Amino acid sequence: MTALFAGLLHPLVVPAHVLAIAALALLIGQQGWRLSVPIAFSVAVLIGLGAIAMAYVPKFTEETLLALAAITGLLVALARPLPQGPGVPVAAAIGLSLALDSPPEALALMQANLTLLGTALGAVLLLLALLQGTARLRHHWQRIGARILGSWIAAIAILVLALRLVR
Amino acid sequence: MPGLKPGMTNIMVRAISVALFAVAAASSALAHTGSVSGGFAGGLSHPLFGFDHAVAMLAVGLWGAFLGAPAIFILPVVFPLVMALGGVLGILGMPFPGVEIGIAVSAAVLGMMVALAARPPLWVAAAIVGAFAICHGHAHGAELPPGADAVAYSAGFVIATGALHLCGIAFGLLARWPKGRIAVRTAGGGIAIAGLMFLGRLL
Repeated sequence: MTALFAGLLHPLVVPAHVLAIAALALLIGQQGWRLSVPIAFSVAVLIGLGAIAMAYVPKFTEETLLALAAITGLLVALARPLPQGPGVPVAAAIGLSLALDSPPEALALMQANLTLLGTALGAVLLLLALLQGTARLRHHWQRIGARILGSWIAAIAILVLALRLVR
Repeated sequence: MPGLKPGMTNIMVRAISVALFAVAAASSALAHTGSVSGGFAGGLSHPLFGFDHAVAMLAVGLWGAFLGAPAIFILPVVFPLVMALGGVLGILGMPFPGVEIGIAVSAAVLGMMVALAARPPLWVAAAIVGAFAICHGHAHGAELPPGADAVAYSAGFVIATGALHLCGIAFGLLARWPKGRIAVRTAGGGIAIAGLMFLGRLL
């Protein structure tokens, strides 16, 4: 159960993951996109974690996730109406990068698989929890607040990306 | 998400609090390294305890509130993005001669804009604020400690910067009333004087 719990908390305690999921939740809520976007995220998380379980070792996953967080944050800050079509691949790319950036440290197969299962649950639950808030942003000041948060997320992601390129 | 009841922002506040708590309080997990809580605290304290940064950020908020819509909305959205570009220059090690002078001048100029109740066109205000944002971002980026968790540190100083803007905006909203307008302009004058004092120390 410890492994499952560690996996469950993983998306909550890795700042880059929180940033990407928060940016996606803000974008979905701002655009009023329907369930297909969160579903694309969830399916992509499962595919990515499946790849990790099959011993796939990806590279530059956190950088990819930060770049996606920066783009998503910028889209939130711009607040231009977008069709739902591009939302599906954006959500899927975030889900896949997040999953590939979550390799478990456990050596035992059972423990590792439980951690991966927990990570999938944690990521999807965090997105759904944030969507409960971002879907209710109806007032003008709330929408402005969402744009400000989007610009903060984009700024943080851009800075960290630059740091990763240098150090 | 259609079908959900409008209003009731308490759940959103709780959800965002959870996200911020996770960024602030989490320790390293699985394959990730670095002191997250230490990085966040360091980033948060950098603009708050750097008095030259803090007064300039307050002035941005004050001026935005003074100018009214849409500046009050646009400046807090634009500033972090332009500041990030300045931060990238600092992280990349690109030289920026006189960056500290630029920060001191930002406090003096922005404070003076508020004190004089200057109302330039929005693009001029955005250009002035954006130019100073590059100075502040460069200083933050160049001083980013190598040992700290980079995401947490960046989150800390972006959130602190934004919070200072919001404090400035909140105080600047007093300008709707005649006595509040005097108070806001006086605060702008105080910031301008502080900026000139910073400048005097540097020159």
